[in-house]
Amino acid sequence: MNRTHTPNAFGVDPWKARIDRVFARALVLPLLLALGLLALLLGDTLYRSFSVQVVRADEGPGRTYPFGLSAQEILRQDLLARGYTEEEVAFALEDPKERQVLFLQNRVELMWNTQDGPFRYVVTGVYDERVADFSLAEGLRRWNELKANLQEGERLVLNPWLDQTFLTRPPSRSPLTAGIGVAIWGTVWVLSLALLIAIPVGIGTAILLEEYLREGRLSRILEVNLRNLAGVPSIVYGLLGLALFVRSMGIGPTILAASMTLGLLGIPVIVVTAREALRAVPESLRLAAFALGATRRQVVFRVVVPAALPGMVTGVILSAARLIGEAAPLLLVGAAAYVPFLPSSPLSQYTVIPVQIYLWISQNQPEFARVAAAGILVMLLLLSVLYLLALYLRNRFRREW
Amino acid sequence: MSLEMLKDHETVRTESVSETEALVDVRHLNLWYGPKQALFNISVRFPKNKVTAIIGPSGCGKSTLLRSLNRMNDLVPGVRVEGEVRYEGVNIYDPRVDPVAVRRHIGMVFQKPNPFPKTIFENVAFGLRLMGVKGSELEDRVVEALKRAALWNEVQDRFKKESGLRLSGGQQQRLCIARAIAVEPPLLLMDEPTSALDPIATQAIEDLILELKERYTVVIVTHNMQQAARVSDRTLFMHLGVLVEEGPTDLLFTKPKHPYTEAYITGRFG
Repeated sequence: MNRTHTPNAFGVDPWKARIDRVFARALVLPLLLALGLLALLLGDTLYRSFSVQVVRADEGPGRTYPFGLSAQEILRQDLLARGYTEEEVAFALEDPKERQVLFLQNRVELMWNTQDGPFRYVVTGVYDERVADFSLAEGLRRWNELKANLQEGERLVLNPWLDQTFLTRPPSRSPLTAGIGVAIWGTVWVLSLALLIAIPVGIGTAILLEEYLREGRLSRILEVNLRNLAGVPSIVYGLLGLALFVRSMGIGPTILAASMTLGLLGIPVIVVTAREALRAVPESLRLAAFALGATRRQVVFRVVVPAALPGMVTGVILSAARLIGEAAPLLLVGAAAYVPFLPSSPLSQYTVIPVQIYLWISQNQPEFARVAAAGILVMLLLLSVLYLLALYLRNRFRREW
Repeated sequence: MSLEMLKDHETVRTESVSETEALVDVRHLNLWYGPKQALFNISVRFPKNKVTAIIGPSGCGKSTLLRSLNRMNDLVPGVRVEGEVRYEGVNIYDPRVDPVAVRRHIGMVFQKPNPFPKTIFENVAFGLRLMGVKGSELEDRVVEALKRAALWNEVQDRFKKESGLRLSGGQQQRLCIARAIAVEPPLLLMDEPTSALDPIATQAIEDLILELKERYTVVIVTHNMQQAARVSDRTLFMHLGVLVEEGPTDLLFTKPKHPYTEAYITGRFG
């Protein structure tokens, strides 16, 4: 048999295969490590957002209300329970100029300027009061002991801090009643206004660079600058916003100033992603439109932009996700520590979710760590939704040219 | 066969086209891409309602000549044109002529099918919409164009919903032809329209070209000499940016006069 004499050309070299396997594993390892760390982080945050608590219903003349009711609704129910008629209650809550409704820690106040002087109606003990707080592990371990030691009117509950009321309540000096409602609305306001600024400017710049200037000198200069801008730390934008918008333009520490700062921050990212989307549109489509007698403007807006739209939208969403997480620049342009009211206009005071989380973490009461954990979960949830949306859009409109 | 030898070449013409028969009359056309000259002193007439094929080896300037007939070369940065292209007596390189308006009158089909990522209907309607056609007229003319491009039977039940990109390669190319002829251009330019297609789809397109010449004047660039022989009435042979020979297709292929033409069609170079 001469088989033994010929080199085994198609055989497997065991060492090459082994090295290949090791190499592939070595590449996967860091990924697994990163995923593991992320899972650990998420798990830890989840764990911290639960606690075992002793709560007591307030024994005053009032009554406790289900979580999540608005101040007006609580006042209405309370007044009705005290025997006022529907008309009287409606009248008392009607005129927003004359009266003021406050939602404080665990009480609701109605202030009303009548002809006989100011009138003040207070509902106290709106919610159950939280008496003591234990971590999940400790609380579950000592469950029976705690249960045996309950006072009159007290209950032992497993409390998820991230509940429905957490999402709607205003912030508070007490961790027991602190909520993220105002910060969520602040984020919604700031982000929408920021995108309102960043989308037209960013996409417009991308179209100008990609479709009109192409290989010009100006295009190259702008390109380098944009890439640099995308790499500037966000706190530098905060300084710019503070100097330019808050001070020089006199807008003050308001939603508008924050949106303009975040808008600037978002523009480079949007420009870069939108340019890539435009570049992915094949040249043959532009030629086809030109050959049909379209002007440059018609080519761009009837063919190229519609074809690039899914990519552009994905880019906008990703940049929005980045802007949601920004705390540093907003600390500089005046996200306030304590804003008890929902923002009502672009010139309102505001706070946003990451700033609120930062402020909670820097408090020294240990329960604030739980509030912060709940806040982090809210933000992660929000970010996940945005990323899923981006992913969905990318898959939904994927094209083969 | 050097450029120097061809530079002052006088085109060999057989049965040349008279001025009255011609739809397009190219006179002494020179074209440069930056410092590089791509077309050398080209003079040729394209007869009305006939198919004219342009053949020649790669890089000989066939596509450049085709694109200078509807000023698509204007889109290339650094291009410079001298000479005249008279379309129904009007020089389209006159500074008072708007290239966009020129392209509206002249249809073009490209090498690779390039439908827009829109529905079949919107693809065909694109040029019509640019001309301001609306409503039921728009719909009628789209259907008419699809019929004329021999695509209607295959897409009639889905042409308003389905994306043009979902069609097969041959169907996409017929869609592009429908898109080009929807605006009723007297002149249709085709730049190697079948080079990306399989033989069956090529056959369909060639049949279509033969039908189209009843209504349109067609200029087709092709790599494939058999195709030129099958579909065209007249053929132009180009080499190194020079129009070497032109004449009726059957004569050019059977009795070429210039030695280069003979060498090319017998397969000795190219």
